[in-house]
Amino acid sequence: MKTTYRFEIYPNEHQSFAMSLSETKLTEWFEKYCNIKFEKLFKANYFLLEANEPIPEIDTYAKTILTDLVTEVLFSSESKNMDMISYLGKRGFSNPVLCDISFKPGVTDNSAQAVLEAFKLIPDLKKYELNVASGECYFLQSTVNLTDAEYEKITYEKLANQLLQKVIIGRKDAIQINTRMQAPKIVEVLSTSHEATTINLNQDEQTLLKLNTDNCWALSLEEIYFVRDYFKTLSRNPTDVEMEVIAQSWSEHCKHKIFASHIEYSEGELPNHMKKLGNFEVNSLFKTFIRGATEKIKADRNLNWLVSIFHDNAGIVRFDKNVDVCIKVETHNSPSALDPYGGALTGILGVNRDILGCGQGAKPIANTNVFCLAEDSFFKENNIKLHSKLKNPDRIAEGVHLGVQDGGNKSGIPTVNGAFVYDHDFVGKPLVFCGTVGVLPQTEHNQSTAEKRQKAGDYIVMSGGKIGKDGIHGATFSSMELNENAPASVVQIGDPITQKRLGDFLIEARQKDLFSSVTDNGAGGLSSSVGEMATYTNGAIVELDRAPTKYPGLSPFELMVSESQERMTFAVPKEKIHQFLQLSEKRSVLSTVIGEFTNQGQLLVRYQGKTVADLNLHFLHESLKPMQLKAHIDTLSIETSKASHWLKGKIKEAAKSASAKEQLLSLLSSANIRSHEHLVRRYDHEVKAATLVKPFTGTKEIGRHAPTDAGVIWLHPHGGEQDNAISVSCGIAPQVSQFDAYEMAVHALDEAVRNSVCVGADPAEMVLVDNYCWPDPITSQKNPDGAHKLAQLVRTSKAIYDLSTDYGMPFVSGKDSMKNDFMADDVKISVQPTLLVTAMGRVRSLNHMTTSEVKASGDLVYLMGPEQLTDFKKQLELYKSLHKAITLGFVKSAHDVSEGGLAVSLAEKIMATTLGMEINTTLDLFKESAGRIVVTIDKAKQKDFEALFVSDLTFLGTVTTTAQLEIKNKLTVANTESLNAYRIKAKGDVVPQARQGVN
Amino acid sequence: MSKKVKALILTGDGINCENETALAFAQYGCETKIMHVQDLIDQPGQLNHYQILALPGGFSFGDEIGSGQILALKLKYSLGVALTEFINQRKLIIGICNGFQVLVRLGLLPKPFTERQMTLTHNRQGHFINKWVSLKVPESKCVWTKSLQGKEIQLPIRHGEGKITFAGDQATQHNTFQALVANGQIALSYTEDVNGSYQEIAGVTDPTGCILGLMPHPEAATSNWLLPDGTAKKSEQAFGTQFFMNAVKHCEEML
Repeated sequence: MKTTYRFEIYPNEHQSFAMSLSETKLTEWFEKYCNIKFEKLFKANYFLLEANEPIPEIDTYAKTILTDLVTEVLFSSESKNMDMISYLGKRGFSNPVLCDISFKPGVTDNSAQAVLEAFKLIPDLKKYELNVASGECYFLQSTVNLTDAEYEKITYEKLANQLLQKVIIGRKDAIQINTRMQAPKIVEVLSTSHEATTINLNQDEQTLLKLNTDNCWALSLEEIYFVRDYFKTLSRNPTDVEMEVIAQSWSEHCKHKIFASHIEYSEGELPNHMKKLGNFEVNSLFKTFIRGATEKIKADRNLNWLVSIFHDNAGIVRFDKNVDVCIKVETHNSPSALDPYGGALTGILGVNRDILGCGQGAKPIANTNVFCLAEDSFFKENNIKLHSKLKNPDRIAEGVHLGVQDGGNKSGIPTVNGAFVYDHDFVGKPLVFCGTVGVLPQTEHNQSTAEKRQKAGDYIVMSGGKIGKDGIHGATFSSMELNENAPASVVQIGDPITQKRLGDFLIEARQKDLFSSVTDNGAGGLSSSVGEMATYTNGAIVELDRAPTKYPGLSPFELMVSESQERMTFAVPKEKIHQFLQLSEKRSVLSTVIGEFTNQGQLLVRYQGKTVADLNLHFLHESLKPMQLKAHIDTLSIETSKASHWLKGKIKEAAKSASAKEQLLSLLSSANIRSHEHLVRRYDHEVKAATLVKPFTGTKEIGRHAPTDAGVIWLHPHGGEQDNAISVSCGIAPQVSQFDAYEMAVHALDEAVRNSVCVGADPAEMVLVDNYCWPDPITSQKNPDGAHKLAQLVRTSKAIYDLSTDYGMPFVSGKDSMKNDFMADDVKISVQPTLLVTAMGRVRSLNHMTTSEVKASGDLVYLMGPEQLTDFKKQLELYKSLHKAITLGFVKSAHDVSEGGLAVSLAEKIMATTLGMEINTTLDLFKESAGRIVVTIDKAKQKDFEALFVSDLTFLGTVTTTAQLEIKNKLTVANTESLNAYRIKAKGDVVPQARQGVN
Repeated sequence: MSKKVKALILTGDGINCENETALAFAQYGCETKIMHVQDLIDQPGQLNHYQILALPGGFSFGDEIGSGQILALKLKYSLGVALTEFINQRKLIIGICNGFQVLVRLGLLPKPFTERQMTLTHNRQGHFINKWVSLKVPESKCVWTKSLQGKEIQLPIRHGEGKITFAGDQATQHNTFQALVANGQIALSYTEDVNGSYQEIAGVTDPTGCILGLMPHPEAATSNWLLPDGTAKKSEQAFGTQFFMNAVKHCEEML
């Protein structure tokens, strides 16, 4: 007889009855955001265990597995061994309310999976069929009386996500009689599948558009007609599976239709500060300006270190004699808007899989992440009420931060670089950029590791997680603006442990030469991974019913396009399949043969013996004609765009600070400059023991609180040369877009490069990754200024072409996300056109490594760089000169000048040291412009150093032993003042406390 | 010397510092083998070939329930006998961070084969912390810290559950702590409160000094280049490396 137990875990009587710091912080959160004061809050975890028959002595096993005998006790539904009211009484509760949070059916439950594995380790329990679910109990007590509905609402505000979790409220009497312990039950997943059907496309426009919306295809009417006409030539209608495969293959997310389109760009009258580009036509922004730039650079510079670019999951370059390095940056914006934690977690795990699926499989060695977010306080200060469909931006920030933290830390990949960018327009859709660097041996088994080698006849093997409904329509979903009817199934939760095992297995299998090719199951699921791999051999047969599922009731189309996480698709030669599956089993990784690659030109999908899809690969991947688009920008379109901004006239003017000192301190504590150390130190940034330049620097005495410019990763621990490293840095400047998208791109690209040059990377060996996040640039009724935004897209693309070709730094990978708009009722919130540039450069010797903080008194301070960055070739020469100075050992510290201008940069260089600076300059202290760096050098090398620069070098002053920034006639600010302002939000988190325990 | 010291470094199930831990031992001419937990379970006899066993840092089983809990259960049920023999032969064991948590939950620290007296629980701050900290290395029986005893050293910490807590009421906890001090089993303590750990303890050794568990990461402080700021890289010392040197030297003398 099926039996379910409920086990709750509580601190034992020797532990403190006071609220923990996390619990106290939660009460503060509720007070701040919900205006409700909880005098008591207490959290406990619980598990439900279901067994096919009652298990004797279950409490003993449960205690061993679920509790820490030193600090915890078990409350079990079996023995009902606790009096909750008296237990809670000791913690100060007199009238507790219980918010019991559990997962909705079918949602990934990592704790439950781990606990299930733990129960299965016990020899006596091996004979039972077991199932586990996890949940959380929050006991709350407030002085105000709240209804159950109100408790439910506030639980969803902070403690649970309505899309994924269910909340049950219990009052004191229910807690007293332990209602929840009476008949615990794990909710079954109920789902019914339907067979593959055919879809009649020979219908009127209205019906077709309805089909399009109902099925989330996100196709245009022209595309639907194109499909209809194609199937007419086959004398049949498409099946639902075929339509889903087509829709996801042709989605903006997978096909990048806007970047592939033909665009007529025109300019009218423009403000003086904007660069005139003239009118022109461009056939694919990607081919012309991104791949075009790389091809030109490769030819101009005769580069031989670009190993594999643009056609794999990540770009591969050769910056070392022994290993190759690869890099990829992805965005996960829409999922993060719905479930910030899950969205960011799957974002980072997803880009890790891109690296694992690069070439024959690379090993991830470093993560980067950049968040573009809004702040709740901004809206509060301006009395702006946000639309009810919008999540509290601070909660989004907390969620995405925790997601990236768990994703990186639990995978053992250091987070070495990143940024937090704030702007009120990110309240509709946060931007979540996740990047990963990987390494792979240059050759293995006498073959290049950069190539895919699947052959017709190889098995298709799916490894990792099982398939569920999660993430169905993810690819098409991210190609739609966020609207009120977004399906809940788009939300996924990552499972770091399954992925870690999968990744470890993949590298071991590669070393043992057990497969011929691998790719990630990302957006579009099997449809995408098998569909792409099939183009190499020109065909594949998939037997869908072999694919393992999380629960029954999945329809064939769902199996094909589900984006359930932690899956990779392998091509395994038949003679190696036995070994492959054996190793997989030993490593606790689920692998299943689901078909084989063919050379017949078709993607053939079968389910229970029936053909459910039979698609020609050429039709699927090559037949779609590029869109024809028009882009236009002029003073009028700029004005119209500004006038239609959702906050037009609602933002209060910021008060201007009086003195230069006040201005500096106010800048240091402003959102886009201030320290995020309290958040960044929750990322493991040095696991793998290869992070040479870490996110913060400073001296031991003051504490390492000052920002560095880039992460530097030593290649030696990863199999590379002893004296060799790479830098990873980023640049982003969405706030500049409102002036000019060309200028915005210059700022972003140059900042990424500048940061890497600062830490000692060689500008002659540097590569770039582009990530565009744009508001919808296609004109429609809902989006009247599409042509303007498309023109901004063209200007940004032209800018990065101009800059990268002059710098001689090729793009090796990139991605775009084109529908970053929020729409509900009459509110439309679009992100500012945003380009993130990630730079990866070679640091040729560890002796070249330079950090941002000043090193010794008497050193000289210089500013380098132009007043306005317009001559890109000249700028490259400046970087080369600086690099030369670094390699010659002249430079003691280097730090870029970015947000906040010169004064901020100077303050950052000294504030975490015991040294100071005496500066004498007439320059504007707060001007923000691209291309500038502050360095300190050894006084003895002054002449040699100056001789390296033709122009754009300004002597500023000297490093002193007085811990203050003194700018003659302008300001004097003590380091402690600067640091206090800079750490305004980062303080108080890791401060020492009075000793615990008895002395 | 003809015979080389051999160290076995476990990996799998979410362990993730195996590579740098192996490199740290290899710096001192030690022969290292990174082995998946499952492969050792399949052939526990392999443990006989090694003088050193290392449980590296990581997030075994995602640190669900309590950190190290499930890996400890797995080792207990499938490698209990082999581990007991290894310990009885006074061979060396190090558990770093998650590995320390595993050793504690296996009941091997502070004293093997006795009732559990201590645990590692959530940091006072309630979250993960990565920073470099200063540590005191007291005189102790610990083989691993031999050359460092009496010094103050710097190592990085990277954990969410590093707060050492003892069993029982306050008096019992105090007695346990005093006994560890008296016995020379406190191997490492923070110079200030970083996570709420009892009396700032950062590392504990067993009564023989052969088993060391510690929260900081010595394997991440094995080169000056890895030190946390520009000045330190040029002028300070990477102390982490000496843990491994001491262990290898100790074993060489025993060979």
